[in-house]
Amino acid sequence: MANAAGAAPGGHRNAFWGFLSLPGVAWLAALFVVPFYAVAAVAFGKIDPILRTADPVWNPAQWDFSAMNRVIDRVLDPNDLGKTFLRTFAYVGGALALCCLIGYPVAYFVARHAGPKRGLFLALLVLPFWISYLMRMLAWVNLLQPDGYVNRIIGWLHLPGEHNWLNGDWPAVVLGLTYGYIPFFILPLYAALERLDKRLIEAGRDLGASPSRVFRHVTLPLSVPGLLAASVITVLPMFGDYYTNGFLTSGSPRTEMIGNQIEFYLRGTSQPQTGASLVLILSAMLLVLMAYYLVVTVRAQRAVAT
Amino acid sequence: MDTGFTRRQIIGGSARLGLALAVGVPLLQACGDDSKSSSGKVTESIKDGLKPEAGPLRVFDYDSYINPDVISSFEDKYGVKVEVTTFTSDDEAISKLASGAVDVDLHHSAATNSLFKLVDSGLIMPLNKTYLTNIGNVAAPLRDPYYDKGGTYTVPYTIFGTGIGFRADRVDPAGVNWETLWNPAYKGSASVLDDYREGLSMAMLRKGLTDVNTTDPAVIKKAGEDLSELTNLMNIKVEIEGYHTIPEGATTVAHTWSGDMLTALQYLPEGTTSDVLGYWQPEPAVINNDCMCVMTKAKNPVLAHLFIDHLIDKDNALTNFTFVGYQPAIEGIDSQYLIDQNLVPENLRTSVMTNDQIAQGYRFLQLSTDVEALWQDAWSKFTAGG
Repeated sequence: MANAAGAAPGGHRNAFWGFLSLPGVAWLAALFVVPFYAVAAVAFGKIDPILRTADPVWNPAQWDFSAMNRVIDRVLDPNDLGKTFLRTFAYVGGALALCCLIGYPVAYFVARHAGPKRGLFLALLVLPFWISYLMRMLAWVNLLQPDGYVNRIIGWLHLPGEHNWLNGDWPAVVLGLTYGYIPFFILPLYAALERLDKRLIEAGRDLGASPSRVFRHVTLPLSVPGLLAASVITVLPMFGDYYTNGFLTSGSPRTEMIGNQIEFYLRGTSQPQTGASLVLILSAMLLVLMAYYLVVTVRAQRAVAT
Repeated sequence: MDTGFTRRQIIGGSARLGLALAVGVPLLQACGDDSKSSSGKVTESIKDGLKPEAGPLRVFDYDSYINPDVISSFEDKYGVKVEVTTFTSDDEAISKLASGAVDVDLHHSAATNSLFKLVDSGLIMPLNKTYLTNIGNVAAPLRDPYYDKGGTYTVPYTIFGTGIGFRADRVDPAGVNWETLWNPAYKGSASVLDDYREGLSMAMLRKGLTDVNTTDPAVIKKAGEDLSELTNLMNIKVEIEGYHTIPEGATTVAHTWSGDMLTALQYLPEGTTSDVLGYWQPEPAVINNDCMCVMTKAKNPVLAHLFIDHLIDKDNALTNFTFVGYQPAIEGIDSQYLIDQNLVPENLRTSVMTNDQIAQGYRFLQLSTDVEALWQDAWSKFTAGG
């Protein structure tokens, strides 16, 4: 009886917390599971014979995998979509590296050393969100165009390096991605750094470690989960980006990303299955990254618990 | 630099239009005969002598593809409001119309390749020409167009050819041809239209292949490979921005629509004269036009007819041209007329299509789904940098 009596309140509590999760579950089902299934239904579906638009097949028993097979062949071809995937990964990797180099010191400073002005710095970090992404990219187009302010300043200062920055070169895309998404990187990283247990850092210092050694052996390892979370939040939208390179390289094939191919097939052709298949393949690749993030996060939590 | 879809990008979409009807012509002809689509959907035109509805007239169009002054004069004339809903590409328009996502009276800018879809799905109705008192103004070659026999469902809106727009102060106009796009002297300042039919057919025409509707996989593949040469040889851009990048000087040679060079006049920087602009196209060239049609479920079909009639009034068409920049499909508004009106400079005479060019031009026809996929995949491989 004692056990039963003791279990009842716990059971109620579990039911209560389970009930609270319902909105989240419903949200995920409505805005993730259903749309994702719809993409699969398009990828493995048919084409309306007259309108040549997608005719989704909802019954998995009737799915046709021929479009997916063709797309996989093209993705595996290094002279075809394989090149675009590799380029996309390289651009996103480069932009993420820059986010780390630029974003980590910023987040660290705001979290650890901004003092009473922390609120001001946070407001400044959020400021870019007040302006739409497209407007910010357009601003860069104006700055970087041949007669733009960047070249004018270079000219005024008689510096070498006047350049057509928008001429289809990869640095413009990597810089554009970095600029566009770095606020997404800094904010979660700031949150993680701000929660670091200061006593651990102080313990390191008390034990005679230099500040740099404390950073390398205490602060940095403790901020890995935050870094990973910030990376995941940043790279996921980067992989699907299809307008940054369009703006900053005028549609050069040398900077085409996989998002551009998805857009082309979904919006400009009679092969929406191909576009949807590319979405699924990209999602599968990102799933691997997500799985890695989850594994690392779980391990870190277990390490803290023990 | 602007982000929105301007009246040129319009044409970007409308050039997606490209593809008209090898398969669709017979179907459209059948539809033209008895207003019955192959899918069995019967559509009827409205009766004669009906009064205009109270409106508002709901128009489906690319952004900025009608002069607001022309819309205002229609509103004043009939005492109604005109509401314009925009789309950004022909595919988007078809998708929204077919799904019922938009409810409009008039599809103002249907691509010729879309007509097959619009007619066969019963989305548009045959026109009652008793309401179109200005129908006689339509350019002669388009009064009985191949894509809509007898003009049963549509009235043409704008006409344009495909060629090369260039900076006449940097390129010898006499030497411009398709090879100019492969000339490394212009590396970094050349572009190809972001349209798979236009791009691949340009590569075919360059090699003397005039079947711009080819079903030959080898020809399609070779055209894609030829375009891929441009990626590194020319650092080519794939865009539809020539109408402003050429006058602004960022582009020297661009695969463009003829109307882009007329629009370019509006984008010349202060102090730059129109002499810097030039346009070349082969003879014959690829020719396209946009069409106006009335939706079967229109709540204001009479107004829709009257609006079409308003737009093909010669004076209104000319007013419209000064804003839209693309040549109206109106008889008599030819190059000499526009030059005499000081609307087009002599050096851009070639940007205005003659009736002979319209009649003899190459037309994109509707391809079968399988062949269309070959074209799309070849283009995809080019734009992927492959």
